[in-house]
Amino acid sequence: MADAQPVISCRGVWKLYGKTPESYLAGVSDTPSFEDIRRAGYIAAARDVTLDIAAGEMLVIMGLSGSGKSTLVRCLSRLVEVTSGTVTVEEQDIGALDENGLIELRRNKMGMVFQNFALLPNRTVLENVAYPLEMRGQDRHDRRARALDVIKLVGLEGREDYFPRELSGGQQQRVGIARSLAIEPDIWFLDEPFSALDPLIRREMQDEFLRLQDMLGKTIVFITHDFDEALRLADRIAIMKDGAIEQVDTPDRIVLDPATDYVAKFIEDIDKAHVVHAGHLAGPVKGAAPRGDPVAATATIHDIARRLVEDKRARLPVADTSGKLVGVLKRQDALDVLFGEQP
Amino acid sequence: MRPFAKALAIGALSAALMAPTGAFAADSSDPIIIPTHNWSSQIVMSHVVGKLFEKMGNSVEYVSTDSQAVYEAVRLGDVHLEVEVWEGAFGVAFNEALKKGGLHDAGDHDAVTREEWWYPAYVEEKCPGLPDWEALNKCAEMFATPETGSKGRFLGGPVDWLKHDAERVEALGMDFKVVNAGSASALWAELDAAKRRNQPIVLFNWTPNFIEAIHEGKFIEFPAYFEGCKDDPSGGPNPNATYDCGNPANGYLKKAAWDGMKDKWPAAYQALLNISFTNAQIAEMAKLVDIDELEPEEAAEAWLEDNEDTWKPWIAHGV
Amino acid sequence: MTDAAIPAPAIATPQRDQRIGQMIVVAAVLLAAAKVALPDGLIRPPDWFVLPFADWINWTFAFLKDDLGLIYLTRAFADGVEWLIDITANLLYGKNRWPRIGPIPWTVIAVTAGVVGYALGGWRLALLSGGTFVWIAVMGQWEWAMETMSVIVVAVPLAVALGLVMGLLAWRYPRFEAVLNPVLNIAQSLPHFAYMIPVVVFIGLGPKAGAIVTIIFATPPMIRMTVLGLKKVPPEVIESGQMCGSTRWQLLRHARVPTARTEILVGVNQVIMQSLAMVVLASFIGMPGLGEKLLQLLQALRMGRSIEIGITIVLLAITLDRCSKAWAYRQPVHFERGTPWWVRNKLLLIWLALIAVAFTLAAFIPEAHEIKRRQAFTLSKQFDAGVDWMLVLLDPITLALRSFLIVWILVPLQNAYQWLPFAAVLTFLAGIGWMIGGARSALVCLAYAGLIAMSGWWDRAMITAYMITFAVIISMMIGLPLGVWASRSEGRAKIALLICDTAQTFPSFIYLIPVVMLFGVNDVAAIGAVIVFGMVPMCRYTIEGLRGVPPELIEAADMSGATRRQKLWTVKLPLALPTIMVGINQTVMFSLFMVIIAAFIGTRDLGQEMQRALSATDVGKGLVLGLCVAFMGLMVDHLAMRWSADRKKALGID
Repeated sequence: MADAQPVISCRGVWKLYGKTPESYLAGVSDTPSFEDIRRAGYIAAARDVTLDIAAGEMLVIMGLSGSGKSTLVRCLSRLVEVTSGTVTVEEQDIGALDENGLIELRRNKMGMVFQNFALLPNRTVLENVAYPLEMRGQDRHDRRARALDVIKLVGLEGREDYFPRELSGGQQQRVGIARSLAIEPDIWFLDEPFSALDPLIRREMQDEFLRLQDMLGKTIVFITHDFDEALRLADRIAIMKDGAIEQVDTPDRIVLDPATDYVAKFIEDIDKAHVVHAGHLAGPVKGAAPRGDPVAATATIHDIARRLVEDKRARLPVADTSGKLVGVLKRQDALDVLFGEQP
Repeated sequence: MRPFAKALAIGALSAALMAPTGAFAADSSDPIIIPTHNWSSQIVMSHVVGKLFEKMGNSVEYVSTDSQAVYEAVRLGDVHLEVEVWEGAFGVAFNEALKKGGLHDAGDHDAVTREEWWYPAYVEEKCPGLPDWEALNKCAEMFATPETGSKGRFLGGPVDWLKHDAERVEALGMDFKVVNAGSASALWAELDAAKRRNQPIVLFNWTPNFIEAIHEGKFIEFPAYFEGCKDDPSGGPNPNATYDCGNPANGYLKKAAWDGMKDKWPAAYQALLNISFTNAQIAEMAKLVDIDELEPEEAAEAWLEDNEDTWKPWIAHGV
Repeated sequence: MTDAAIPAPAIATPQRDQRIGQMIVVAAVLLAAAKVALPDGLIRPPDWFVLPFADWINWTFAFLKDDLGLIYLTRAFADGVEWLIDITANLLYGKNRWPRIGPIPWTVIAVTAGVVGYALGGWRLALLSGGTFVWIAVMGQWEWAMETMSVIVVAVPLAVALGLVMGLLAWRYPRFEAVLNPVLNIAQSLPHFAYMIPVVVFIGLGPKAGAIVTIIFATPPMIRMTVLGLKKVPPEVIESGQMCGSTRWQLLRHARVPTARTEILVGVNQVIMQSLAMVVLASFIGMPGLGEKLLQLLQALRMGRSIEIGITIVLLAITLDRCSKAWAYRQPVHFERGTPWWVRNKLLLIWLALIAVAFTLAAFIPEAHEIKRRQAFTLSKQFDAGVDWMLVLLDPITLALRSFLIVWILVPLQNAYQWLPFAAVLTFLAGIGWMIGGARSALVCLAYAGLIAMSGWWDRAMITAYMITFAVIISMMIGLPLGVWASRSEGRAKIALLICDTAQTFPSFIYLIPVVMLFGVNDVAAIGAVIVFGMVPMCRYTIEGLRGVPPELIEAADMSGATRRQKLWTVKLPLALPTIMVGINQTVMFSLFMVIIAAFIGTRDLGQEMQRALSATDVGKGLVLGLCVAFMGLMVDHLAMRWSADRKKALGID
């Protein structure tokens, strides 16, 4: 999967705000730091970002507010013009598209969910969901049928005629999700979709989202400032600071092997046992595999905590979902993770 | 000549003159637009004239306008006539418009107009010798107000009426100071309040005017108006000053017409030339509205009903 | 790299501006003190300094009108407007024009108004709007009111459309907005009469001129609200539209405009209110109806009847205000699935049934079609008696007050203003400007005041300034405590705001008469009329400012054991001050408008000259005078807004 052609790829993407960012950027020879740029009177929102996103992958971009994550996702959809660098979507340089080409791309390939829902207040749920189809010029009957399908998918059946303000925040975001899915996009951008919701609702929506993703298998770029959320959802996480990516990796590796001090600070308080999977921690099978019940590779260390404590073997076999042996887990390593000590 | 007879004579004459063309040149079906202003006699008179035109088969519309700006409008044909052109108040605006061209004099009414300093009747007891101006000057202090100090106050009309009261005070060496009210309403409001307090007041007034029906009073008698009083210092009591005289005691009251009216509505135009009201009739029209509380339209109807003999001859040629 | 490497920005601190400003003010005082030693050129604007703006304007207008033939264009447009007015005039009061089917019976219109009121705001609004039209009919003012409405129903949609288009253009093209903004600022502070003279020249007289002057006056707030609304659309909504693949037009049509709906409708509300404010003034150039009647009745000193008309105008204004506001803030509500069509369209059906009844009634009972003036009811005797009673009651007080004010305050104050060398006034204003907003504000003040001096109307402007100064001080002395009192409870605030609304929409000409009766023709009367009008915004903004203080802060003060008085002085007033400052600014604006109208009492300021310009149809003079008034307003506006914004920033509110 990872070898396949990436769906989205950005190469050396810069985004500066200020008077004449292009000429400034052209004028500096090496890579200027965030501070350099600030002193020159510009604000850096993206600094030399290079990133590939594979088909069907869920990439979570994580960073604190002002770290440039929202700008980055807008560069990927060209809601924001990049200052320099290229963004390629399905092998097409989107910076080179004219307005119509861009509209076509968005009408057929992309969907986006927004933090504050961004629903049109004068339209009902049904009309909001059907909006992108209407823009495409689909006929009234078809778009109604399709919109009803998606509304059902997000569990808002029976609320089709409500207006956004008549719904709770969670319900409104379901509308936002339904709208972004109406055109059956291949690429799905979600800009802090659950940040405006209460913690309980947020949890519920995350579950819902995982269910949808299981079903639909889209390429997803998901923005969040909530590290827990990132860990819970991501295939890979990109951690951003001051417009640059500090580390892109799987949750397990970020937790176990932070690339920078900044990332390390983030994971300090994380209960790693909830993140690290047995399959990831396991070493290769060298020589004779230990016998006995294997632990599942997809289980987190936390999931198998009881066994780790009770099972006195030093090495545990790890098997994938089909039961095939994929590795050996050193019990000591796992216990270190479980009790939050450095392995 | 009695107005009736005069009107009849003019009517007959003009009917004779118009007869050959009258048969062919019918009035246009466009409405004749008559301007109305913010005093009742003019509004009623406009409606009387309008209703006469309607009786002749014309259509008429009324539009309320400023009484000074109206001459510009007549000149341009935005409105088509003016039924009350006062010598004192509008002579200047009328003459200016006349000079620019586009409107012309459509004859005088029988009425005479007078604009002059005026006092309500009860002041006479307080200041013996009135209405003579020198007697007034002797009691100047009685008319003093805080803003005029020890001098008497004369309450003049709005400055744009151009009455030269200050010049007159100067020329006649009077102990008065002119304070200009901003509108006729302000004049009447002050008069009303002064009467309540039984306070002496001398203010600008004119006839014919509805206020005559509410408040009794008299005009001050200044040295009589004479030709050249406004330009030539040598005449009058003060040999070194102009304006040492009163206003004309019998000013004209005219009608004015747009130049195009003659050709567009010949019959109505002829009627306009014929029309002539007297002071009594004008006062009566004002009274119908201001005292009897009729609407101007109703007042016009009532007046027409009561005065058929007067207006029949005016429109005789057109019916 | 350390922080020290960043150079400290060389911006003048507020304290430094303060000090420079104070020094300039001191210089101004010295200039004034040394008046005897000053050359004449510094005492009065010298001749070479005065430019013939009026001639230039007249020349430009003549060029536009005659040489460019703009008059044909404006007249053609006016004819189009007139055609529309003829249609509404026929429908509403049966003017003999196409389509010749009117007039619509009053019962039908009253019922319609009631149903619209109900749809927008329930029973209370239904009662208000239906009741207003019943009052109009019963008081025998139907035809006049319909004459007024026939113009307003044409002017309002045109002003809304024009404002919307200009607003869209201003939003779309920042360069256009940059040009438009100052024009709007000036337009909104020009006295009404200044608009009228060019309209007479380009359009003529009559209902169409009334409609057009109304449109000109009512459009600026619509433009402002449209731009504001479009700018306030959350970027996310636009991005969501973009991500749905909307073209620019689709984005505007489906996302931007609907999301800006509330602001745009508030703009519509403003247009309606401005139109009603013009009802009386526009009758100077031929707008028929209530305004025209009102002026005629006032001319004949018929207070009772005038008050009846005044009440009608207030009722119409409040009805239209409440209805359009209800419409602006109305949120869509869905019907449950399977609701039958007659339930969905219940109100429409009820309305159809009611007007059918009304039409039938009107066909058989003439009173249901039209109530004749003679049959009408009147309260004029009662109002007259009320006015008489009030005059008798107040007369002794006002007589004494009048002498005192004139002798001890107004005459000295006016003399002082007139005595001041103009160079000292300019310097003083520059100093104040510098204290409040630094060099830029000093320049702004200097430019406005300098232009007034260059216009040749310096002395007149100083009289206006003296009247405004005194009127604003008294308005504050009355309006502020009143606002403080009214802000104590929700109920009081509501009543006070309703009174403010009424005072603001009640035709100001009606005040003029009793004020003259009480004070006579002099500056006391003029200033009195200005105060009646000017204290309204003072009171309103004080209430809004005080009630807008965050409740936590008041709770904190309570917990610190503050007494009511302490709370007011230490918490509420300081926090409400920026808002109150906006109120003072508004008071100045209102007073400037009113001082021009007070020329009808008799003043010797810019207003009197404006009146002359109007009757002489002198476009150049009228506009120059209007601009003098506008510049005074804009100068105060600049200073007040600057101060208020700085203060708000310092307090961390807004």
